[in-house]
Amino acid sequence: METNENKMSSTESLKIISDMINRTKMNIKESAFHLLFWGWLITAISLAEYFLTIFSVLEEPWIVWLLTIPGVFVSLIYGFVAGKKQQVYTYADRLFMWIWLSFLVSTTILVVYIGSVNLMHLVGPFILLMAAFAVFISGIVIKFKPLIAGGISIWIFSLIGFFTGPAISPLAIPAAVITGYLVPGYMLKKTGTENG
Amino acid sequence: MAKYKDLDPVMHSQLRLAVMSILMNTEMAEFTYIKEQTDATAGNLSVQISKLKEAGYLTVHKRFKGNYPQTLCKVTPLGRKKFEEYVDSLRDYIK
Repeated sequence: METNENKMSSTESLKIISDMINRTKMNIKESAFHLLFWGWLITAISLAEYFLTIFSVLEEPWIVWLLTIPGVFVSLIYGFVAGKKQQVYTYADRLFMWIWLSFLVSTTILVVYIGSVNLMHLVGPFILLMAAFAVFISGIVIKFKPLIAGGISIWIFSLIGFFTGPAISPLAIPAAVITGYLVPGYMLKKTGTENG
Repeated sequence: MAKYKDLDPVMHSQLRLAVMSILMNTEMAEFTYIKEQTDATAGNLSVQISKLKEAGYLTVHKRFKGNYPQTLCKVTPLGRKKFEEYVDSLRDYIK
């Protein structure tokens, strides 16, 4: 690009502004990693809990959810390493990070409280409610419609989880995570790859 | 012609405008990233970034990433204001 002092027309100026803003989008591939990682982890854990409950192999099948603790560390380390490699820091990147850290804090408080009042059977729908909020807002921030739709689908599955019995309610989690994390996650990954 | 505002000469150059447009959309951007996005030469980009820095439109931060030096640019509140004024002036020209 040349310097060309004072020789641009207003249309050329606007074209430069719009080209540069379009090139400077957030690191979509990194967001896709977190959605896919958590999508598969939660799907596996929730299905494991469901089948362990049916076949009564463990007295407390919910214990499989403890696998989310190392999951948090994997996500944090990945985010830290990817952040170090980043050449540009967009506002969307920062907002995305804070939305999900807030989700982590709120969910931890919620789980501790629900555990203390012995309402563990409602923990799934409550977490879905929080996740729906985080996914929906993330979709708005990065202007990605499949993620916005994913957030809405998680809200719907949260309602199903609240109002159906114990036979159906546990399946609301994997269904919500597939539609709200995995589907938009793979679409986001594809978009990120196409955009280089 | 009285209704037209004079375009800011610091902003009204292809490369400086491109640099400011990138920084308006980011919190911080690395020199190498700006170079890739603008297809500018390192020398020319350095000169234009220095001009923007002298005008107070951006700040330059140096740090190390591993063993390599890293130069990060960040828009200042004055730079943000001047960019917005520049875009307003362009709109007047187009009307």
